[in-house]
Amino acid sequence: MDDKSKKQINNRYEQELNKGEFFWPDSIFKDVIVSLGIFVLVLLLATFVGVAPEPKADPSDSTYIPRPEWYFLFLFKFLALYGQIPLLGKIEWLATVLIPGIAIGILTLLPLIEKSPQRHYSKRALPLSIMAIMLVGIVLLTLTSEVPTVSEDGSTLLGLLQALAGLAIPGAGMIVLLLMSYVFKSSARLMAWTAGLVALSMILISGTVLAFAPERAAEDTEVATTIVDQIFAGQDLYSIHCVECHGDDGKVEVIEGVEGLEGEKITPINSRDVLYTVTDSAMVEVIAYGRPNAGMPPFGKAYGAELSKSEIDYIVVFMRYMWDDRFEVPQEALKPLFPPLAKGEVPSYDVHIQPIVKRYCVSCHRAGKENNNYLMTSYEEILTTGDNVDYNIIAGDEASYFLQVIQETPIMNPEKPDEELIGVMPPSRALKPNVVGALVRWIMNGMPRTAEQAAGLFVPPAPEATPTP
Amino acid sequence: MWKKVYEWMDERLGLNEIYTSLLDRPEPKGNWWNTLGSASLFLFLLQGLTGIFLTVYYTPSPDHAYDSIQYIMEGVAYGWLIRGIHHWGATLMVIVVFVHMLRVFVTASFKYPRELTWLIGIGLLLATLGMGFTGYLLPWNQRAYWATTVGTQIAGTVPFIGEFILKALRGGPDLSALTLQRFFSAHIWMLPAVLAGFIGVHLYLIIRHGESHWPKRED
Repeated sequence: MDDKSKKQINNRYEQELNKGEFFWPDSIFKDVIVSLGIFVLVLLLATFVGVAPEPKADPSDSTYIPRPEWYFLFLFKFLALYGQIPLLGKIEWLATVLIPGIAIGILTLLPLIEKSPQRHYSKRALPLSIMAIMLVGIVLLTLTSEVPTVSEDGSTLLGLLQALAGLAIPGAGMIVLLLMSYVFKSSARLMAWTAGLVALSMILISGTVLAFAPERAAEDTEVATTIVDQIFAGQDLYSIHCVECHGDDGKVEVIEGVEGLEGEKITPINSRDVLYTVTDSAMVEVIAYGRPNAGMPPFGKAYGAELSKSEIDYIVVFMRYMWDDRFEVPQEALKPLFPPLAKGEVPSYDVHIQPIVKRYCVSCHRAGKENNNYLMTSYEEILTTGDNVDYNIIAGDEASYFLQVIQETPIMNPEKPDEELIGVMPPSRALKPNVVGALVRWIMNGMPRTAEQAAGLFVPPAPEATPTP
Repeated sequence: MWKKVYEWMDERLGLNEIYTSLLDRPEPKGNWWNTLGSASLFLFLLQGLTGIFLTVYYTPSPDHAYDSIQYIMEGVAYGWLIRGIHHWGATLMVIVVFVHMLRVFVTASFKYPRELTWLIGIGLLLATLGMGFTGYLLPWNQRAYWATTVGTQIAGTVPFIGEFILKALRGGPDLSALTLQRFFSAHIWMLPAVLAGFIGVHLYLIIRHGESHWPKRED
């Protein structure tokens, strides 16, 4: 740049300064307002949206679909789309290194590339239209990042459309704009229209992709955050996976009634010998890997079984707080699941049924799980959802499907008598008798919701009469 | 009395000079888009402050990282708020810094005499993304672990030196305690030092050249 244009620029700036304001207090006033607004926004987000709980890192869980931070999603999507290109798509580093490298390089050296002293948008059609296309592309790639490139039926149409909107059109658009600027010397207006058209077609195609994208299944993000929740979660997992050999209370010394391990001598896992000498991390390893020589199978995902790292942690937390006398159990964790029922007392949803359902049913009976569309996360859902809703819960009817399956009687398909329509629930183990009892009483007495409604149904037992079922 | 104290301080600190050179500067007529730079600075300070609080309880080891954050969320008074601010502040900082860059691009404020300000600014943008990348691993949850696995894999595709970059980032062939330790170190020492230094130069250049004016038809 020659001294003349430098002087011109400096004079122009002087003019603007003379018409301008002062940093203190004029400019800083605006700065403070914007920063304050952002601070309030952060506070609101932190308070009302919060940070979603996530299970602990589990290097062995290869089923987890990795996803980067949201601001790198567009790059991730770009790589996925690029990978679809035949031949060229196989040379990964072109997309991972070369193209982002060129983009960052151009951005960094921008003052050296765009040398003209002109600043008004009407004189900067090329850089502005290329940046506009980049920006639209980045936003659209981010928005469509969750859409698969291959649909479930194997059709690649969605992938093709995405590649069109995310790679082909913007790429071609930029080349056309470069040609318009350097070869055809087109007017700024024409270039703006071209860029607008390119952006519009990208938006329309991506909109179509989003409209026809398959809905994503709700993710499993059940994470126990408090110690009490972890103890409960650990207790549930313990009762599914461990009770058979180690017993309810971990006291078992000789295994009984387990095929292949009958009479096997084991160390009681609730003893001080175990709890005082085995650290948490060693315990986690024992549960994950098992003790093959002593007959204990692996339970961790790392060794082909089903428990995740977080789940194993919950079991250890449960064992520590329940059996290790150096730990103090939180009072809440000792509470029974629901207050015991007196003779003739009718349980209510709010007090009795909800905790039962939460502990034993909701893990499968919620959106996004295979459950014959029977959801159980609220009172209404329990009574009104499911493929078999007409037969499922009938007030006062012992043949209600619900009551049969929780009492170990599967419902057979009326059309194919040897096929189960609904298996026993919960599938892995029977409910405790007091839990079954509460559910039976609840349905036989018309499913009251609140404690007051249930109290209205209370029938004081006559001394000789048989108690209500 | 206060006047005397002020005069005593001014004699030694040069408060009046600071006032005239830093605050009492003439500026072109302001525009709301021009506040994004100071908003970025504000978010940087907010992230620094909340980050410092978080290090009081956070432990950068695979065995304890997850539990220590669990404890911050459940056991520490207002820990959830501090972490929430840090979490959302990071997201907003990336947005604000990016939009700030867009604004400078659109108004062509990177041109003479502010080329170096832009160059440093790109450094700040990249360092901010680096902060996001390294900070994401620290909670040591599934999302973090696998995002970093993939992220470092991508860095490993660089021809010839990819293998070296991958190992340098991870501290070995796989994600391990070493990876967490060096991401933590990068997140709380190296990158903030780079950011702070760059911000200093960036601010000096802004004060030296003044804020650019909004381009008019004759510019």
